[in-house]
Amino acid sequence: MSIKNVVMLGFFLFGLVIAMVPENTTKPYKLTAEDMLVEVQSAAEMVNADEVAHWIISKDPTLQLVDVRTPDKFQKYHLEGAVNVPLSVILSDEYRDILDQGVKMNVLYSNGTMNSHQAWMILRQLGFKNNYVLQGGLNYWFETIMNPEAPSIYSSDEEFARYDFRKAASGALGGGGAVTLTAPAKTEVDKPKIIRTKKKKAPAGGC
Amino acid sequence: MMGPLVPQEIIGADWNLFIAFVVGIGFGFILEQAGFSSSRKLAGVFYGYDTVVLKVFFGGAVTAMLGLLFFSLFGWIDLELVYINPTYLWPAIVGGIIMGVGFIAGGFCPGVSISAIAIGKIDGIVFLAGIFIGIFGFAEAYPLLEDFYMSGDMGSPKLNEMLGLSGGFFGFLVIIAALIMFWLGDLAEKKFPRKEY
Amino acid sequence: MKTKYMNPYLAGVLLGLVLLMAFFFSGRGLGASGAVKSTIVSIVSTVAPEHAANSPFYSKYIGEGKSPMKSWLVFEILGVLVGGFLSGALAGRLKLKIEHFPGISANRRLVFALIGGLFFGFGSQLGRGCASGAALTGMSVLSLGGFITMATMFGTAFVLAYFFRKNWI
Repeated sequence: MSIKNVVMLGFFLFGLVIAMVPENTTKPYKLTAEDMLVEVQSAAEMVNADEVAHWIISKDPTLQLVDVRTPDKFQKYHLEGAVNVPLSVILSDEYRDILDQGVKMNVLYSNGTMNSHQAWMILRQLGFKNNYVLQGGLNYWFETIMNPEAPSIYSSDEEFARYDFRKAASGALGGGGAVTLTAPAKTEVDKPKIIRTKKKKAPAGGC
Repeated sequence: MMGPLVPQEIIGADWNLFIAFVVGIGFGFILEQAGFSSSRKLAGVFYGYDTVVLKVFFGGAVTAMLGLLFFSLFGWIDLELVYINPTYLWPAIVGGIIMGVGFIAGGFCPGVSISAIAIGKIDGIVFLAGIFIGIFGFAEAYPLLEDFYMSGDMGSPKLNEMLGLSGGFFGFLVIIAALIMFWLGDLAEKKFPRKEY
Repeated sequence: MKTKYMNPYLAGVLLGLVLLMAFFFSGRGLGASGAVKSTIVSIVSTVAPEHAANSPFYSKYIGEGKSPMKSWLVFEILGVLVGGFLSGALAGRLKLKIEHFPGISANRRLVFALIGGLFFGFGSQLGRGCASGAALTGMSVLSLGGFITMATMFGTAFVLAYFFRKNWI
């Protein structure tokens, strides 16, 4: 067969195949299983309640709370400034801009830690950065920040400081046990580094 | 591993320029091998005596199009990260018309003129000089043209989206069109005999 | 002596593969007019920096840390020069000449080449691409804009071919 006929036949056959096969619309995982294991074991994605309280009070502009519970739970109560991204629709394009970005720290939370962690796993595997998990979730939040346990006389200085902070924080955040707020400046908080992604550059090209 | 490699930083951005160079070598080599450095050969498509432009052009577009669709099917490339030319309706039409004049008058298009220059075509050099002046003229006149240049912004729609067809099916239609073109091209060459050039 | 060119169908497929590689590696297709634009921007900003900074056209491409010549297209065009030369050398087609239809003079050919370039240069900026950028690349990614520009480009040339026929046949 002449080259011309080979090429024409080839185009036709490949064309036929591509016309009939359905399009690939899967969203692929970007991290290997090994990478995920390393990340999960290092637990670097956890942020604790004290840190988050500190950020809320100091009005840190890079904080973004993300509530992954169902909408009705969100309606009943949610942390101030939180957005609702229910776990069941986390892959929807609607929330892509919130979840895949390089400017804010998204702190995912749910009632406990399970759902928020599930959300984190999925997002991390899609290659998104700057998402974190609130340790203990709302349950722990209420126990410790909103209604902090008074330390006993045997507690360490550190525990007293923590109690003071939580008391003040709960006041600022609307919990029981309101005490005048002393900006808890003493609490040294190690902020996780925001990985500034060159916001997935819209591909460049053209003349 | 999934492409495109540089936008996803699987290879460094510095490699990009090197890749561009290598791609250019391939492009220039093939163009010259096919005879695109000859303006008479190129103009032939408009008179029927030489339809190489049709065959190489459609052949190239179809091959690349099929390649992209298959790569996407196998998960080898993420089409969302591939640049799609944006559509600004009015300048696209007028620009095309003006370029059409340039094509039939000069017998070259910019990329092809470079490969012509590479083998010593003086008319290619003059054509390129014309391009410089033309673009310079546009740049200087830009303040007057800016509004028109930005008009008719439709985003970056794809042809198949406009018709509501899947990429694959539309690709098949393009292939059929190309095959018809090839057939017509060969027919024209038989009908309009070629004088040696 | 009949010039030995590559089979056009084969050339087309090879071209498509080169284009595919560009997509796979760099996420973009080919182009040419952009390289000329980059060159002009560089020249103007060197020779008349204030004018360049004030112009809405040039200022887009200059500024802190932006080097207009360090662009994908410029390097690609350099490659085209090398590739074309290599091919010509291998095929024995290297020859300095003004190619034209025997029925017209060399000067007339040059005049039309210049005019052609003028139109093409200007049009390529409006159309956001030339034959390789808008048409070839645009078609492969099924871009509407690319297709429109290609159709009007070839359509116009076909329609006007009658008026330019003395130059070619």
